[in-house]
Amino acid sequence: MSTVNGKDVRRVVVACEAGMGSSVLLMTQLSRQLAPHGVTVDHSPVNRLDDDTADVVLCHTGLASRARQAAPNTPVLPFNMFMGDPAFARLEAAIKDGGPIDG
Amino acid sequence: MADPLALLTADAVRLQCTATDRFDAVRQAGELLVAMKAVEPDYVEAMIQRERLLSSFVGEGFAIPHGTDDARALVRRAALAFLQFPDGIDWEGQEVRACVAIAAAENEHVAVMSRLARVLMARDQAEELRTTTDPERVLELLMPQPDDVPQPQKETL
Repeated sequence: MSTVNGKDVRRVVVACEAGMGSSVLLMTQLSRQLAPHGVTVDHSPVNRLDDDTADVVLCHTGLASRARQAAPNTPVLPFNMFMGDPAFARLEAAIKDGGPIDG
Repeated sequence: MADPLALLTADAVRLQCTATDRFDAVRQAGELLVAMKAVEPDYVEAMIQRERLLSSFVGEGFAIPHGTDDARALVRRAALAFLQFPDGIDWEGQEVRACVAIAAAENEHVAVMSRLARVLMARDQAEELRTTTDPERVLELLMPQPDDVPQPQKETL
């Protein structure tokens, strides 16, 4: 488990298997939510992650263990739904108001 | 920037399709990308492999099948295909009525995916994509708009 304060988050990366489909879709949704807070959102295949990739990594629950292996010191937030998963609202709240992000 | 029109063309839109299951749907989508000479034939198997690994269902009755990271080498040119399944397909317990299949080696398709994300959030547009009988309407709905990809607001120093 790793922790970062929401106030210190500047770069969020959405990881998926290929970094081609779902991560791109989610990236564009999240950048709309997080851009006003000065946070960039990018996407990456899970195998190309490392601890320099992002302040926070989001990925589907099924890929979370691979993501944690690739970026052991970066909080990894798993989600199940590509639209409206509560993880996204929690992330936005932590970035906006400050607060720990664990994952 | 790649011309978004070149990524999704009228010949890549198939309405009123039927499929026996989700793998059949993914195979049909892949074979369409092969027929369009966007991918090598082996890309279809990579799409099915990706689907077995993790469902490409994204919500609102849509799935976005695509290849694996390793299969990028099999992409000849970035392209999208749109297949509508009005009867619905069981997608691991979810119902899918439309697939947007992706062939991309890099980030050529980000603009169209951004538009798709916005269409899925606007439920009436998602419904129209699932049900329209006009291929031109599919192209119109997925045509990228200037404000689809927001830029982060930099803090002034």
